[in-house]
Amino acid sequence: MASTAIRRMAVAALAAAGIVGSMAAQAAEDPIKLGAVYIRSGSASSYGEFAEQGMKLAIEQINDNGGVLGRQLEYEIEDSQGNSGTAIQAMRKLVYQENVDALMGIDSSGVAQGVASTVPQLQKPLIITHAATPDVTGKMCNDYVYRISVNIIQNMRGAAEIAAESGAKRWTTIGPDYAFGRQSWDFFSEALKEKNPDAELMSETAFPRFGAEEFTPFINSIMDADPDGVLISLWGGDLVNFVRQASDMGFFDEDIEVMFTVGAATEVLDALGDKMPEGVWLGTRYWFDAYDNETNRDFVAAYKERYDKAPSYNAEGAYAAVYAYKAAMEKAGTTDGPKVAEALSGMSFDSPMGEITFRAGDHQTLVGPTWGKAGPMDDEFGIRSLTDVHVFDGKDVTPAVEETGCSL
Amino acid sequence: MKNAIVLIVLAAVLAGLVALPWVAPYFYIFLGTEVLILGLFAASFNLVFGYSGMLSFGHAAFYGIGAYATALILLHLEWPFLACLVVAMGAGALLALVIGFLSVRLDEVYFAMLTLAFGMMVFAVAHQWRSVTNGSDGIAGFMLGDFAPGVDWSLGDPAVYYHVVLGVVVVAAAVLYLICRSSFGLILRAIRQNPERVSFCGLDVRRYRLAAFTVAGAFAGLSGALMAPFLRVASPEMLHWSMSAEPVLMSILGGTGYFLGPFFGAAIFVLLESWITGFTDAWMLVLGVMLALMVMFFRRGVLGTLLDWVQGNHD
Amino acid sequence: MTAFFTALLNSLDIGLLLFVIAVGLNIVFGVLNVINFAHGALYMIGAYLGFSLIAMLGWPFWAALIVAPLGVAALAVVLDRLVLRFIYGREITDSLLLTFALLLVLNESVRMIWGSGIHVVEPPALLAGTLDLPGGVRYPVYNLFVIGVGLAMLAGLWALFNRSRVGRIMRAASLDADMAKALGINTRLVVTGAFAFGAWLAAVGGVVAAPMRAIDPGMGDKIIIESFIVVVIGGLGSFPGALIGALVLGAIHAFGGRYFPEVNMVLPFIGMALVLLVKPNGLMGKGAA
Repeated sequence: MASTAIRRMAVAALAAAGIVGSMAAQAAEDPIKLGAVYIRSGSASSYGEFAEQGMKLAIEQINDNGGVLGRQLEYEIEDSQGNSGTAIQAMRKLVYQENVDALMGIDSSGVAQGVASTVPQLQKPLIITHAATPDVTGKMCNDYVYRISVNIIQNMRGAAEIAAESGAKRWTTIGPDYAFGRQSWDFFSEALKEKNPDAELMSETAFPRFGAEEFTPFINSIMDADPDGVLISLWGGDLVNFVRQASDMGFFDEDIEVMFTVGAATEVLDALGDKMPEGVWLGTRYWFDAYDNETNRDFVAAYKERYDKAPSYNAEGAYAAVYAYKAAMEKAGTTDGPKVAEALSGMSFDSPMGEITFRAGDHQTLVGPTWGKAGPMDDEFGIRSLTDVHVFDGKDVTPAVEETGCSL
Repeated sequence: MKNAIVLIVLAAVLAGLVALPWVAPYFYIFLGTEVLILGLFAASFNLVFGYSGMLSFGHAAFYGIGAYATALILLHLEWPFLACLVVAMGAGALLALVIGFLSVRLDEVYFAMLTLAFGMMVFAVAHQWRSVTNGSDGIAGFMLGDFAPGVDWSLGDPAVYYHVVLGVVVVAAAVLYLICRSSFGLILRAIRQNPERVSFCGLDVRRYRLAAFTVAGAFAGLSGALMAPFLRVASPEMLHWSMSAEPVLMSILGGTGYFLGPFFGAAIFVLLESWITGFTDAWMLVLGVMLALMVMFFRRGVLGTLLDWVQGNHD
Repeated sequence: MTAFFTALLNSLDIGLLLFVIAVGLNIVFGVLNVINFAHGALYMIGAYLGFSLIAMLGWPFWAALIVAPLGVAALAVVLDRLVLRFIYGREITDSLLLTFALLLVLNESVRMIWGSGIHVVEPPALLAGTLDLPGGVRYPVYNLFVIGVGLAMLAGLWALFNRSRVGRIMRAASLDADMAKALGINTRLVVTGAFAFGAWLAAVGGVVAAPMRAIDPGMGDKIIIESFIVVVIGGLGSFPGALIGALVLGAIHAFGGRYFPEVNMVLPFIGMALVLLVKPNGLMGKGAA
């Protein structure tokens, strides 16, 4: 009896050891591996999907043209679930288990702040391609964290210029009730006050919870407050819900200047089609139609051929990040984490947004947002086109390094 | 004889855990840390579920408050880590006492939904009380200092931190085990079997349940306190109901009828997640199918089923 | 005053939609003694099926409103026969766990079938636009339609339970399954039927919600907590409870979002806690605490 028990226990132990052993046995060294962490489940998972498409496209193009340092590229992608803890464990897994050479991704600001301080320990560079909180290239900056996408301050300085030009005086906001919504309003207020000291920033603001579904109460209270302009920083499914409910309530028929800070995300425009009202201001970190350069034309054409869609800013961010790593690894002549991280600092490279530079002082790229008015439907992609397009130069909207709170 | 085998196996497992940083690939230090912390979290949950028969869907509230307490103390007061652990246990216990007081008087269905709702209330508070909790971003950027006053073990080193976690979890598990084995634990199990009979014996069922819930809250707080420095962040997701579902899954996976079941379940959960997410996004699908099969056919959990098989109970 | 009136209408359309969904949860609980964690997922599948029929196959909204919920009810029959029957008669916790597993599987299946994108459905032309109500209130026609659907469901369900044989059988089975069996009622059929009926209600809610709300893979999770709050406030298994709970929660959302935006996330839980302090079994709940 006891001996059978021991024997069976031994079998079970061996089986367990076998599972562990087979999990550890992965060390194909040859290709260069990029590790990505994006949101791939729940409401916002379409953002992760666009990012993966952009990343994949860049990797295929690079591999077709001889790879990086004579080696092929490949990638591993993990789901952050929009959760800092999950994202941090995913990064540790990518670095220590999958042996990736560099990291990229991160959709939400909260997750970005959570992972930023962990990255130096991993000794691999991280290029943030979506999350917009200024802090990760501000007071929480470090040697390993870079951001390729437009951050909130850059976007809001552009927005403030549009707002100042519009002549609207009394401004309020509707934004998601978390850091992104609050910071968007704070930075917008700050920038607008500077550009137009006469502007009034109202105290009647609305911050519905993220994923609220029902926005009518908030739309009502904003309409009652009778503003001249409204800054709206809702995104994803929230934005889709908001636009439809606001149309129903007649919000867009009022004489109000409406600005959607990330309204020109193709994820959202795709869903809304012609239900996105004409004439509202739509902001975005990248607009596929706004950059007249060869890299961008090639990117948009290739993306369209591959996925039959217009690339979103998230797709562009991921695409550009892969090319940034290519440039940095070639500059460093190695894939060694600390050296690639160092090479990124101050590096300029070619992206769909033109030649852009990771500023050495805080690791933020000097890029600016694109703002435009929702125009007639774009028949090629089935989404609203942008008219009256303003492409802001990164140099004009990025605060000086001393103002960011970053010291490197 | 049987006891001797169990002791030998336990000693071997413990020795293996201690030696892990030297023998396993580096990433296993992180997996190991996660397994131990979540195992403790699940074991604390199982005191409520497996021993007392109450299904709580809000256990993350106590885990999360432990994490926030630790993060806040490390950020603002820079106390030694040991002090954080103590405060986190107290915070978990206190919150559990309050929520438990409002919940344990109801029957099990209400109890499950109430704990879920109270848990989400704590989540909502963490989200909206920005001046203290930093809202949705959570609290990051805190540093680990000494373990105890004057005891600097360089906790920032993952291997060291793993060993500290191992030590704390082993001690905590031993205490929990003694509680389960005590007369208090016996009464809890009696209540689970038949609450009416226990109350006929003149015992206040409600008070025992509340006590169990509070103790469980304290240990959940402790596990949260261990998790915050490991993840370097305390964020609202740690309080979300999907976090409350994790110890439920782990306990069911491992086996609710065994003290070590939840630890075993945590190990399966973490290793499988790490393995399966490597080649598919559909980890939740796999998890769902697994849980369904466990509930339908293997209610005793993997550990229970395995032990049955080892002992030849299957025939 | 206008603002108040709009908020009032708002609480009705939020509340009555929640009622349609939550009453299904209550019926399933009443007859099967199962808390269906996957109820929100069934609501979501209703919305997705509606989207497929309307936006992809070009069906009229009304046809989708009839067909999609029937499809979900059929799915529920399969789930009941394939999965749920294993835990009949077991502890309630097992049903919570099993339906939670179903939730995980259904959520992921939806993402695999329909992808991760955000979708929208247009309201039928008849219900598009806004209506000017007396008192200067402008309100979307579709939201008024939702209120109408909620009221019609309320009347229909009331008649079903109080006036029809099927309804009486359901009530009998929920009160005492053994006795019902002894009286020659096929309880297995009743049980499966009740589960399918609950799913049907969730799916009706889903199709009705589709023209107002973005359809995305997270929409089921959003509604299930809301539904739980409704049944906890109203009282588990209680038909009037589901109505009152839903209206209370609708009012909390509409007036809370309007007048107390800073704490809008916490308000539903505070409301729930207050109710439970006074009435531990919910406003309409029966039995001792």
